[in-house]
Amino acid sequence: MESVLLPTLTKKEEIDRIINNTIDKVLVLRFGRTSDENCLLLDDILEKSARDVSKFATVALVDVDSDQVQVYVNYFDITLFPSTVFFFNAHHMKLDSGTADHTKWVGKFHEKQDFIDVVEVIFRGAMKGKMIVHCPLPPERIPKFQLLYKDV
Amino acid sequence: MATLEDSFLADLDDLSDNEAELDESDGDDAKKDEEDIDMDMADLETLNYDDLDSVSKLQKSQRYLDIMQKVEEALGKESDGTEKGTVLEDDPEYKLIVDCNQLSVDIENEIAIVHNFIRDKYRLKFQELESLVNHPIDYARVVKKIGNETDLTLVDLEGLLPSAIIMVVSVTALTTKGSPLPEDVLHKTLEACDRALDLDSARKKVLDFVESKMGSIAPNLSAIVGSAVAAKLMGTAGGLSALAKMPACNVQVLGHKRKNLAGFSSATSQLRVGYLEQTEIFQSTPPALKSRAGRILAAKSTLAARVDATRGDPSGTNGKALREEIRKKIEKWQEPPPARQPKPLPVPDSEPKKRRGGRRLRKMKERYAVTDMRKLANRMAFGTPEESSLGDGLGEGYGMLGQAGSNRLRISSVPSKLKINPTIAKKLKERNYAGGATTSGLTSSLAFTPVQGIELCNPQQALGLGSGTQSTYFSESGTFSKLKKI
Repeated sequence: MESVLLPTLTKKEEIDRIINNTIDKVLVLRFGRTSDENCLLLDDILEKSARDVSKFATVALVDVDSDQVQVYVNYFDITLFPSTVFFFNAHHMKLDSGTADHTKWVGKFHEKQDFIDVVEVIFRGAMKGKMIVHCPLPPERIPKFQLLYKDV
Repeated sequence: MATLEDSFLADLDDLSDNEAELDESDGDDAKKDEEDIDMDMADLETLNYDDLDSVSKLQKSQRYLDIMQKVEEALGKESDGTEKGTVLEDDPEYKLIVDCNQLSVDIENEIAIVHNFIRDKYRLKFQELESLVNHPIDYARVVKKIGNETDLTLVDLEGLLPSAIIMVVSVTALTTKGSPLPEDVLHKTLEACDRALDLDSARKKVLDFVESKMGSIAPNLSAIVGSAVAAKLMGTAGGLSALAKMPACNVQVLGHKRKNLAGFSSATSQLRVGYLEQTEIFQSTPPALKSRAGRILAAKSTLAARVDATRGDPSGTNGKALREEIRKKIEKWQEPPPARQPKPLPVPDSEPKKRRGGRRLRKMKERYAVTDMRKLANRMAFGTPEESSLGDGLGEGYGMLGQAGSNRLRISSVPSKLKINPTIAKKLKERNYAGGATTSGLTSSLAFTPVQGIELCNPQQALGLGSGTQSTYFSESGTFSKLKKI
């Protein structure tokens, strides 16, 4: 199956442009690095479902090792990789999945269908005007992580 | 005009005198047109012509002999092909080709006439043969082979006809009504067959000649369909300009043989192609695309013929380009369709839910529909306070249910389609049974119920609970409370 590679963003302008230009579609930004194993697994799922979800979502990858991107890394408080941030019409969409951090999704998805479900829920919520949606996945599918506050 | 009258008179003499006619026809060689007209007139007058030569005069005509001689000459020597500077119509070779075309058409007509002649004579012997063997030349050959023979097993028809037809012919010969011909009729018939075969070979010769010259006459057309087919097309159309004037749909069926295969159905539409069927392009296309290929061949070859008629492209490059175009188109038709890509998911909530109707849905809805009883209970009469279950306006109102004014004494208990949970149904029964507080030990068939007033029948009997005195211990609707396996 032919999969066009997802666009990888390295510059701040690119990220700005894509956030502003994606209209009426969920924007999925994956922050991570290609050397990470988890990241690669997540990327695989993203690539495979990018076409299926293409009518209501856009997927892009952000390389976290580039300098200009660090602004965003600090803004979104991204410490663990991979992290996925969702946007809709330039609004940051929050996702309550039972973890401590609602602003992003940390880790990989268990299955392609899980990712599609999450994107669909975000889309529905956003179309209704909500800024935060409830994650439809059962808790065992949600990767658990510990939030460290200043390395405590 | 005088000569015309003379020829009329001469033809009248034909009826009795065969030999005199032979001399006549030699003298009339210059006036071939009158001859043709005479021939027709003669046919109309003489319903019973005896002699072959009264029918077919072509072979003796001067025109025929002239052209055949020229053809022999030209076939003998190689033409030098440098005389193309002149306009096409002035080129003597072109004239010869045109004449040959015309002659080939004439020969074909002549063959048809001779065929009629043979058929008429041979009908007495073997009537069914004419419907079994359609083609005039084949018919002539078969007649020649069979001759006066009655037993067809002694006749070997191999190679003249397809084996299926041979079989049919042999079988039909066993049951034919015909009788062997008298000697002179047989002789005439065989002579006619020879004549037909001669004409056929002459025609072949003429066509071969035309074909060999086709490359210089119509280079574009021969580039597309090949020189043999081009010659045949030109021959049947009657010249290059005649072919150019034809619409492409006519060119497509030029030379189409109507095959009535003995008894086989012609309902399966055979392809509508004539001589174009023999072209290399047509033969090499897969059968599914043959009809489309035939159409495009006809169209492009008509274009090429038009170019050739006006001598617009003596080199034939136009024809080659058209051929290439045809080849490309046919290849494109044979490409497999592009692979299907998986469809992306539709946008959530973008399509409104399709509500289905139907019998099944209606039956489902009936179970939860509002019953007549409930409808009546919902309505109220004006001016009268409704009765209620607890009395005095408390509890559920009964509305129009059981009103004295209503014209129904009681609601007919239609077996309701409402589906009630079986446990709830059981409880209802028990309650109805247990709520029979108004009944006493002296139960009668009259019952006083708050809803209906006086009832003539005990509703509990209808439920099958009998009188109210039955204790609940021995509940009708209940089951054994304890079951012990012995």
